[in-house]
Amino acid sequence: MTQHKVLSKQDLLSLFEGKKSFISDIDSHKKALDYINANEFPTNKTEAWKNSNLNQLTKHKFCLPENKNENEVLEDTFAVFNMQPYKISIINGKYSPENSDLKLENSKIFIGSLKEAKEKHSDLFNKYYNKTESYKDNVFASLNTAFAEDGVFIYLPDNIVLEKPIHVLFFSNGREQKAFIQNRNLVVIGNNSFADILISYHSVSFDSVLTNVVSEVFLEENSNLNLNVFQGEGEGTFHINNTHFIQQKGSNLTTNSAIMCGEFVRNDLIVDLLGEYCNTSLNGFYLSEKEQHFDNYIKVNHLSANCNSNQLYKGILDNKSSASFFGKVFVARDSQKTDANQSNKNILLTDNAKVFSKPQLEIYADDVSCSHGSTTGQLDKEALFYLRSRGISERNAKTLMLYAFISDVINQINLTPYKELLYFLLNKRLKGDKIEGLCSIKICPSC
Amino acid sequence: MLKITNLRAEIDGKEILKGINLEVKPGEVHAIMGPNGSGKSTLASVLAGREIYKVTGGKIEFNGKNLLDLSPEERSREGIFLAFQYPIEIPGVSITNFMRAALDEHRKHKGLKPLSASEFLKFMKEKKALVELDAKLEGRAVNEGFSGGEKKKNEVFQMAMLEPLLSILDETDSGLDIDALKIVANGVNKLKTQQNASIVITHYQRLLDYIVPDIVHVLYNGKIVKTGGKELALQLEEQGYEDIKFKADKK
Ligand SMILES: Nc1ncnc2c1ncn2[C@@H]1O[C@H](COP(=O)(O)OP(=O)(O)OP(=O)(O)O)[C@@H](O)[C@H]1O
Ligand SMILES: [Mg+2]
Repeated sequence: MTQHKVLSKQDLLSLFEGKKSFISDIDSHKKALDYINANEFPTNKTEAWKNSNLNQLTKHKFCLPENKNENEVLEDTFAVFNMQPYKISIINGKYSPENSDLKLENSKIFIGSLKEAKEKHSDLFNKYYNKTESYKDNVFASLNTAFAEDGVFIYLPDNIVLEKPIHVLFFSNGREQKAFIQNRNLVVIGNNSFADILISYHSVSFDSVLTNVVSEVFLEENSNLNLNVFQGEGEGTFHINNTHFIQQKGSNLTTNSAIMCGEFVRNDLIVDLLGEYCNTSLNGFYLSEKEQHFDNYIKVNHLSANCNSNQLYKGILDNKSSASFFGKVFVARDSQKTDANQSNKNILLTDNAKVFSKPQLEIYADDVSCSHGSTTGQLDKEALFYLRSRGISERNAKTLMLYAFISDVINQINLTPYKELLYFLLNKRLKGDKIEGLCSIKICPSC
Repeated sequence: MLKITNLRAEIDGKEILKGINLEVKPGEVHAIMGPNGSGKSTLASVLAGREIYKVTGGKIEFNGKNLLDLSPEERSREGIFLAFQYPIEIPGVSITNFMRAALDEHRKHKGLKPLSASEFLKFMKEKKALVELDAKLEGRAVNEGFSGGEKKKNEVFQMAMLEPLLSILDETDSGLDIDALKIVANGVNKLKTQQNASIVITHYQRLLDYIVPDIVHVLYNGKIVKTGGKELALQLEEQGYEDIKFKADKK
């Protein structure tokens, strides 16, 4: 038996010695610390982390990020062509006004730093912050709750239809050692309000970071939120992301997650459907190569009747990369007329790529309509031959099929400029062009 | 144009083609008939370059080139087109994107610039009209959810787009209603020139009323056992294969 090294909680905790909580209040801070003390980092023996090996992290020494350049204006920040968003940037976990563009027409809307919100809008802050209790989900989430210094707060009061999308940019700037960075989001969409949000993660110079994100998202009654998340941090990045949604009656949530970069990405999504007549559509795709590992872990809790939820995740895996998809739909006893679907499809480009896929249903109500499906395979050889027999090279035939495979995920996005960008990146990636360093180039689909 | 000499091919160690000889000249239409399982589609697949069939002997020469040295895509660009007996569904790939990619590669091979988007759409519209392909199929994925007849029409549409020198139609008539059969045959005839040639695989004399062959072959048990003029097809329609089988088996 080989003795596996385990990620040391003490090593990571020692980084924060003498630091107190910045945005959490004493009570939240203490609860998070208690959780950390009572629990270990997940290992492969932890059911929810069975297929994602954190042992790779034990190779690294960690440090806290340096914040000397936080006021520097980043020259070519990641801009989506044709999109004029409200823009807010966070560098190494701290709000960077120099890299933000927030001229709000309505003074009741808040888009800005969590720290500022805590001071200026303490009533709102206290009403929502840490209320999903996601610090209980795992040690990473509790570390974030205990030590996050700042983050993004987006608040839409009732009856607001936001015309422009919001683009939240997280930049991580590593050091020689792996910098351990806490990012935090709090999003509240008021009754009958509507927002399009894009959250994108990028690395500035050193790729070597461990980013640890916690997002809490509240959809009040009859609100609509389209949330797109782009993981664009560079090659050596470990990215751990816990997002918890709370949906009230009649609210509509659509998410899209695009993962193409990073060494190790773990996305946890939890959706609690607290009110009736909610719609939830969780979509995502991942393109992995080399030895990348991408893990999507999803739980949709149907805690009310008459809600629909949909999961569509697709992946293409090259080389020795691997991915894991776990999707669970939980339907409580009184959640009748639940309609829930889950689908995970993967294409393996080599014999060495691996996928673990486990869509799951746990149903306690009797009048429901639920389905789940999962497929993993190679490209259909007969289809490839068909395309080639029309003169299309093998490589281009593969590209056509793979592009089509991912397209039906991207097609669900309604933020058109972002959608076009993803098509552009998908095409580039399938053609074998490098797409790393996304934060340092301006990307426009036409050039 | 095409010269097949003593061609042998097998799949999973089982010999299917047992020495085929066939020569096709520009301007000719050849019909290949024969009982089920005799190797007609296998021959068509080998010509198109399907890798699951292993060629164990013989030669195929196409316009002076050794066809067996070429990949399926190179064969297509050289002018070979196979209309499949069972066209496969390509999930998510639209006909437009598919044909765009194919035509670009064909034009590149000929040293031509790709068509502009509007030129391409115009060209595609003309070709669609030729087989009366339903406009609603345009935005759909290749063959996905198509009816049997729609799939066959789509094959002839692709043939019209790529303007091949040698087209091989593998039972393109089966599954077509009488009107569609006329449309498809008419399309094939319109594409006919003195420079190109066709091999039409069919079970029914009816198709040959529309696409009139110069030469008819009977393939049985991996060999061409009889060759004649178009009257051979009529004779087969009346008498079936019993006599031919009997004579071939006796040899
Ligand atoms: N992929 C395959 N695997 C195993 N056997 C095959 C395969 N393809 C063809 N065969 C066998 O080769 C023989 C010839 O098949 P082929 O499809 O060429 O016949 P055909 O003349 O086209 O018949 P039909 O008139 O029914 O279309 C058959 O016995 C068939 O079972
Ligand atoms: Mg056949």
